[in-house]
Amino acid sequence: MSANPNAAVLTLSWRLFRHEARRGELTVILLAIILSVAAVLSLSLFSERLQSALTDRTAEFLAADRLLGSDKPVPDTWLEQARTQGLNTAQRVQMRSMVFANDELMLADVRAVSNAYPLKGTIKLADQPFGLGKAVETLPGPGEVWLDSRLFQVLGIQQGDKVEIGEKNFVVSGVISELPDGGFNVFGGDPLVLMPLSDLAATRITGPGSRTDYDYMFSGDSAALDDYYQWLEPQLDSELHYWRSVEDDDSPLGRSVRRAEQYFLLASLLAIVLASVSIAVAAQRYSHRHYDPVAIMKTLGAPGAMVRKIYLMQIIFIATLGIALGAGIGFAAQHVVAELIADKVPVALDAWHWRPFIIAVFTGVVCALLFSLYPLMKLFSVPPLRVLRRDLGASVGSRISQFIAAGSAIFMLMWAYSGDLKISLILLVTGLMLAAALLVVTMGLIWLGRKLGQGRMGAWQLAWARIQRRAMDNSVQLISFAITIMLLLVVLVMRNDMVKQWQEQLPEGTPNYFMINITDQQRPTVESHFETRGVQMENFYPVVRGRFVAINDDTIRTEVTKEDDERGRRGLGREANLTWSNTLQHENRVVAGSWHGEPDDAQQLYQVSVESQVAERLDIQLGDMLRFNIGSEVVEAQVGSLREVNWQTMQPNFFFVLEPAAMEAFSPTYITSFHLPTEQKALLGQLMSPFPTVTLFDVDARINQLRSVVSQVSLAVEFILVLVLCAGALVLVAQVQSTMDERQQELAILRTLGARGRMIRMSVIAEFIIIGVVAGTMAALANELALYLLQSQVFNMQTAVHWQYWLLAPLTGALVVGLLGAISCWRLLSLNTSQLLRKMV
Amino acid sequence: MIRTRAITKIVSTTEGELQILQPISFDVNSGESVAIVGASGSGKSTLLGLLAGLDQVTDGEIFLDEAPLHKMDEEARARMRGEKVGFIFQSFMLVQSLTALENVMLPAEITGLANPRQAALEALQQVGLEHRASHYPNQLSGGEQQRVAIARAFITRPKILFADEPTGNLDAANGDKVEKLLFELNRQAGTTLVLVTHDTELAQRCDRQLHMHAGSLTEESEEKASAEQRYVS
Repeated sequence: MSANPNAAVLTLSWRLFRHEARRGELTVILLAIILSVAAVLSLSLFSERLQSALTDRTAEFLAADRLLGSDKPVPDTWLEQARTQGLNTAQRVQMRSMVFANDELMLADVRAVSNAYPLKGTIKLADQPFGLGKAVETLPGPGEVWLDSRLFQVLGIQQGDKVEIGEKNFVVSGVISELPDGGFNVFGGDPLVLMPLSDLAATRITGPGSRTDYDYMFSGDSAALDDYYQWLEPQLDSELHYWRSVEDDDSPLGRSVRRAEQYFLLASLLAIVLASVSIAVAAQRYSHRHYDPVAIMKTLGAPGAMVRKIYLMQIIFIATLGIALGAGIGFAAQHVVAELIADKVPVALDAWHWRPFIIAVFTGVVCALLFSLYPLMKLFSVPPLRVLRRDLGASVGSRISQFIAAGSAIFMLMWAYSGDLKISLILLVTGLMLAAALLVVTMGLIWLGRKLGQGRMGAWQLAWARIQRRAMDNSVQLISFAITIMLLLVVLVMRNDMVKQWQEQLPEGTPNYFMINITDQQRPTVESHFETRGVQMENFYPVVRGRFVAINDDTIRTEVTKEDDERGRRGLGREANLTWSNTLQHENRVVAGSWHGEPDDAQQLYQVSVESQVAERLDIQLGDMLRFNIGSEVVEAQVGSLREVNWQTMQPNFFFVLEPAAMEAFSPTYITSFHLPTEQKALLGQLMSPFPTVTLFDVDARINQLRSVVSQVSLAVEFILVLVLCAGALVLVAQVQSTMDERQQELAILRTLGARGRMIRMSVIAEFIIIGVVAGTMAALANELALYLLQSQVFNMQTAVHWQYWLLAPLTGALVVGLLGAISCWRLLSLNTSQLLRKMV
Repeated sequence: MIRTRAITKIVSTTEGELQILQPISFDVNSGESVAIVGASGSGKSTLLGLLAGLDQVTDGEIFLDEAPLHKMDEEARARMRGEKVGFIFQSFMLVQSLTALENVMLPAEITGLANPRQAALEALQQVGLEHRASHYPNQLSGGEQQRVAIARAFITRPKILFADEPTGNLDAANGDKVEKLLFELNRQAGTTLVLVTHDTELAQRCDRQLHMHAGSLTEESEEKASAEQRYVS
């Protein structure tokens, strides 16, 4: 007569699952799991795709995925090996050399490249010097060179003319507008020359004594690149070789992209936390609703093991369905978003990434099991006696252990996902502090509620009384509301701060042209000439070239230019640009000593301010005497201050700024910059023609490149923000929904006792508003702490206090939570009293 | 069928220990129907919970069909309930997410009876609700829900049936119907019945009445209802 008990368990749990799903009783927990899987999958899939798109984009600035730099040619076998491993390779040999034409000469950045160059990105050529560039697929043919616009200007040549580089003559066949790996140096870089690698030997410019960089470029899929590097690494000599990838890119662009990547990671982590919170809330509710069935089953003779199996099986059914639906929805959501922005950000839709999928399923499983574990344990402990005494509930452990379990689960998930202990810890610590603070606040509320809840029962008194009576439940609710609001704030404010700082880096009207070699006599003419054509000039900086020869009595042999710092790019010359001023330049900050300011008669020595990085590199201390040779003159000055310079500002910046008195004897040339909209490029010839000796640097293309990438990244960040906000909103809805259940009984009683709908509605709304305000306030505080830690420790951004959110968060909390409460309440109150009572049975 | 010897129940409250049941001893014979009556808070339901093995005595002995309930843990008691006990509650206690038929099947499936569906359909037929088999509890009237609960109680052919205010939530007409059904099925199955009630009319249909007062039990024989009282403990 006895059937298989396991079959009975399966039948029962499947039957319960089927009926409950059909009757909508699983909606909340199912939605929570669907939401968590969908949010994690869509966010991480989207960000993974976006990241590979952005990495591809930034790879263009390296003209390859990876680059091996060397001071000497490397063995051919290294390149053969790379090709064997399925990689594409290209070569670039780079050195500084003079270019001669028409009895004029100019130092240039000569690049001899192989046929496959560039592996990433495109070369742009202009029809004429300083013209608009168009992408080309070709390279200069044998015996030909392409030159930077500046060379045309200085050497006085045109396309088709001949130039001499080393011992070989070349025909000039193109005007370089843009090379993908042209670099971001605003001024001070040598004009570029591009020639075929096959012609290099004939020039004989790479002989002994020349400073030549041999760069080997590689592209291919990242696994093959990593494999190749593993093979190559043991053979590299750190003195001679270096390996670079886009991740090493320290340009403003590289930094922007890295920051965006961190943001995506953060957003995905927060999505995981949001999902966990919503599952915990839903599981709690699920457990509560099953107290009676468990008591009935136990009463009817079901052993504990059977009840456990039935409900574990149920959770497995729910999790499986939730994960399947969540994965489908998540995939569709990111697909739609990616399609929507496809014309703005090139996201490869066909690329399938397994990692996000695995993470999402893993998250779904872990969340469903871990966060329902405690509610399930409570459920299993419901005594059968509950069938007689309805007030009997579950009794296991304390809430503290639940919090500890949930907290560690969230932390483990974040850590496993991000692999970044710091971000995970920051989020955990601020979350914990928030939870602790909220417990204290709740206790305060109870006290306050006692005071305010006295007297005649109005809507507010009723609200306070409820908050007070359900102190512990409310503290859990408060914590989950506050954490949700805090996470949304973090994502929102991070995005705002990040986009703002990007935009500040390149504000509208950023100078896109620089002029050097303007003489004292030319300066007024240049100014009036430009002004009459409506072009606004920036500041004029006086410059005298000088050789930096000694620190105290130590003679210096090395060159001092910023470019020395960057491998593969040599400096402008042996001379440094010396400028002088009494006022500290914008975006410069004195980090040691004091700015020399107005001349002081008491001072015997001239003062000089030194850029802090160069000071560090050359071991220059405050008080050191620096000696410069300017022509036949010698200028000595004492280091009075060290300055931090923002090199991202696209402004002329100087290593050495002297006191004007020190330089009175020299006649300077001037450097200035101006902004000319790209569409007015044609005006350039007209602007520059009266001043053939003035050299023009065109950084317009660079700035546009940078700006386009930054705007793409911003757009992507925007979409991620919207996704997280949607996830957060859904979590809030789930939370309100679940707390509304608990209020059902009370509403029914109040209704039965004849309380008017308006009063009940108002009291519930008031309760939610109070909870929303408190949660919002606490969230604003915690947000500030989380942001400070994240921005200072992880994102390397400037930190600031966000006062506006201290007002905005409580207001929004009150509004959103109050509104959601009102909607749910309206739904409940639309039932009549007997329906309400029946719902409770 | 039921033997109790000096059973007591003490619970801990915030104000110290509270003795809900004074030492109680009585027997219920097989096939007998016994009503436990008394005012609210007198301890009737507590006693019922102990007799049915839903709760554990603080002291004393309970034998249910010769099995020592007081020595059993929750798992053993659950097994015992499944095999020998049927229940009917004031608030019906049907699983809301299962249909009437599935509610009736539930004990049969838990205890592993063969053909639970067939047995449940027959049980529903006996209570006249076969046409409501696929309805959920909230689609049934109170009387119908209680009839489903009765069908559920009898499906495993229990030796003893515990009923806690079985008509307490029903109007007079429905209460009557349920009452008749309960006693009729009980008679047919020869089940021992222990019911807790306020309803004197219902109590009078039982063979014996036990009166609870402040945790103590007095038995009143029908012949001597107004005359003498005899403490059984």
